[in-house]
Amino acid sequence: MEDVRDLKALQLDALCEVANIGAGHAATALSQLTKRKIMISVPRITVTPIEEVPELMGDADAPVAAVLMHMLGDLTGRTLLMFPEPDAKLLCDLLNKREIGTTTHFAELERSSVKEAANILGGAYLNALADFMGMMLMPSVPSLVIDLAGAVLTTAYLNFGHDRDFVLCVQTDFEFQDVRQTLTGQFLLLPDLASLKAIFDAIRVD
Amino acid sequence: MKDWADADTVNMGDFRVVAGTGRLAVRGLGSCVAVVLYDPTTSVGGIAHVMLPSHTLARGQAKPAKFADTAIPLLLSEVMRLETRRENVTARLVGGARMFETVVLAGALHMGERNVVACRTAIRETGLVIAGEDVGGHRGRSLLFDVRDGTIAVRMLGEVERYV
Repeated sequence: MEDVRDLKALQLDALCEVANIGAGHAATALSQLTKRKIMISVPRITVTPIEEVPELMGDADAPVAAVLMHMLGDLTGRTLLMFPEPDAKLLCDLLNKREIGTTTHFAELERSSVKEAANILGGAYLNALADFMGMMLMPSVPSLVIDLAGAVLTTAYLNFGHDRDFVLCVQTDFEFQDVRQTLTGQFLLLPDLASLKAIFDAIRVD
Repeated sequence: MKDWADADTVNMGDFRVVAGTGRLAVRGLGSCVAVVLYDPTTSVGGIAHVMLPSHTLARGQAKPAKFADTAIPLLLSEVMRLETRRENVTARLVGGARMFETVVLAGALHMGERNVVACRTAIRETGLVIAGEDVGGHRGRSLLFDVRDGTIAVRMLGEVERYV
């Protein structure tokens, strides 16, 4: 396989299933952490020219809080947890047991809360993947940026990925149901091309 | 504050040239670099949204505006088609940030920095002068270029607009 465009329907389905297992575990962890009910979407797989990546998120100019972690071990790639900035503030309120609407900016405690949440989510996601595929997977330390969505997404690919033409993104939306405001976020799995083969081998998909 | 709403967006790997009136915007620049060429005597200008330093990083056929070494000659030739004189054209660079600093190996040259270096080299090779830069740092940028007076407004999250 030379290019992510060569992926077959069966392989995309298999990736979707793998991501679903990961997202399910991550959502359970987040639900326990915040004591809220959380809904997750069926993972979406996008194979797209890298130029169109900013459009994955909607508005390239919109501020987001994003936590990047590298996947290390039997697979390489990155995971990116993204919240629209107002939703990240809401998450800080929930994690720190504050009145909704209290968080106004991202100081040390707030940054640390978001990173910790990402760490727990990313860890649960990767653990589920590792168990399912019989692999060893470890997340790197998380790195948080609060910046423009377009800048975050493109840099996550261009700085670390080796594929600069077409890229693959497995995207899961999640939503907190029972807060006064809805909190949404996205979990993006950005495996390196070489790792896809390892995934397919592990789950016996040709 | 400039009005950003009705500006035409130059997407990643793309370029646009305008003459007389018009506004161009580049939204959400991270490690990418926006190269702006401008001739104040004729109010002709253009932007290339450069993603990578060299076209040798592409695997197959790719847009020339995506790479610093091919984007800058292309943008210059497109600007020159609109009755400009080469000696009046100046270049400005915006972008090339180093985001996600903590998860990168020490000593590795960042894509943002590589893009900036490659753009400077390519501009020097065309003989143009770099009139201004707003590059580097750790944060993303958006820019608005007004071809009537050549101003470039740069926005960063939570900061006041500034001009290059």
